[in-house]
Amino acid sequence: MSFHYGQGYPRGGHPAQGNPYGGGQEGYRGPPGGGTGPTGGPYGGYGAPGYGGQYGHGPGGVPGGYGGQPYGGQPYGGQAYGGQAYGGQAYGGPNRYNAPAGNIPPGVNPEAYQWFYSVDADQSGFINSKELKQALVNSNWSNFNDETCLMMINMFDKTRSGRVDLFGFSALWDYIQQWRALFQQYDRDRSGSISGTELHQVLTQMGYKLSPQFSEMLVQRYGGRGGPQGIQLDRFIQACTQLQSMTQVFRERDTGMTGNVRLSYEDFLAGAVTRLM
Amino acid sequence: MAYHSPYRAPPQINAPPDQSFLWNIFQRVDKDRSGVISDSELQQALSNGTWTPFNPVTVRSIISMFDRENKGGVNFNEFAGVWKYITDWQNIFRTYDRDNSGFIDRNELKQALTGFGYRLSDQFYGTLIEKFDRQRKGQVAFDDFIQCCIVLQRLTDVFRRYDTDQDGWIQVSYEQYLSMVFNVV
Repeated sequence: MSFHYGQGYPRGGHPAQGNPYGGGQEGYRGPPGGGTGPTGGPYGGYGAPGYGGQYGHGPGGVPGGYGGQPYGGQPYGGQAYGGQAYGGQAYGGPNRYNAPAGNIPPGVNPEAYQWFYSVDADQSGFINSKELKQALVNSNWSNFNDETCLMMINMFDKTRSGRVDLFGFSALWDYIQQWRALFQQYDRDRSGSISGTELHQVLTQMGYKLSPQFSEMLVQRYGGRGGPQGIQLDRFIQACTQLQSMTQVFRERDTGMTGNVRLSYEDFLAGAVTRLM
Repeated sequence: MAYHSPYRAPPQINAPPDQSFLWNIFQRVDKDRSGVISDSELQQALSNGTWTPFNPVTVRSIISMFDRENKGGVNFNEFAGVWKYITDWQNIFRTYDRDNSGFIDRNELKQALTGFGYRLSDQFYGTLIEKFDRQRKGQVAFDDFIQCCIVLQRLTDVFRRYDTDQDGWIQVSYEQYLSMVFNVV
């Protein structure tokens, strides 16, 4: 057998189920301040949310300001995401040790400011993936998974140093809260997890035109050991972010907006390698 | 997930390591004596040769390959497969890391992947280095090298399933495309 593309690992290969690599998420890097709210609705034949720019964007592309939830740039008064039962809360409360007295820098969410100093366990002035993981819990009290933490750090890490400063953390904080609001809204049975059916409703509401089977597949892929009950907040953020990312890759190649693309082997690899994991 | 055929061990070339030798290692790695080695236990036991923590994503990839019951870790029997898998990769890595630096550069990566049968452009090797160079050195460490190879292999497998006429091109719809890439994560 001969292929145009590689044979892969020479000894029969070891296909396996696994997890994405936590490398850089190209599409999210950039100067701060580009925060945009919902951008665009259904797109061509496969309406998908647009990227809200580089930084501090919401899930993007949610049509018509769904459900009246405050989105990107709104002050976060606790109302929108106050549910203690849900994940994304840091352990121990924001006052493990006190944030330095003084004014909160402009553009930094006051709540994120408080959290930053309790999450930054080694007081380095930066938060790395490990510190973030320890600070974030799902509704079943499991810590956020490594990949999601790494993915979010990479999204908001301007310097590619594997950590975020206060400003990056503030944007990351807003990002989590926005997804959490969406998560809570669609977790209709208040189970603390999102089922395939619920995920399909979320994605449809966001403008994606995808089959219910696709959502079921996503829940299976990301549900992991949780089994069929659904996905927790961390996996929800991971799945939705990657869906946005890969939609963008497809869209860049679907120049005629036909909903179909022709891809070479290497172009396929490049799109997935740079944007997926 | 249909293509995730169960892992089959490559033909035994070297004699398998002695069971008591493996048992010794297993017990040392299984710190909480649960009989199952978890991600974090394996991560602590592994070295990428550069004094930085072993890539947790690579650890997850490897465990999930051998964890048959989806229990989030490997038991002693499965650990034998993990051990062999990692030492095989170690041997491959060493043949390309000629100066024993713990890293392979772009040229060495190209040599390795070309040796596996991949035919990729120079530009794409730049993309790979950029992506898998977790330590930002312009080179790839052992753990990231494994991850790079796993990802390439999975993407190639899924592409190949759609490329039925084997001409190196596929035509896919939006949902097909997403299904392809999400099968790999």
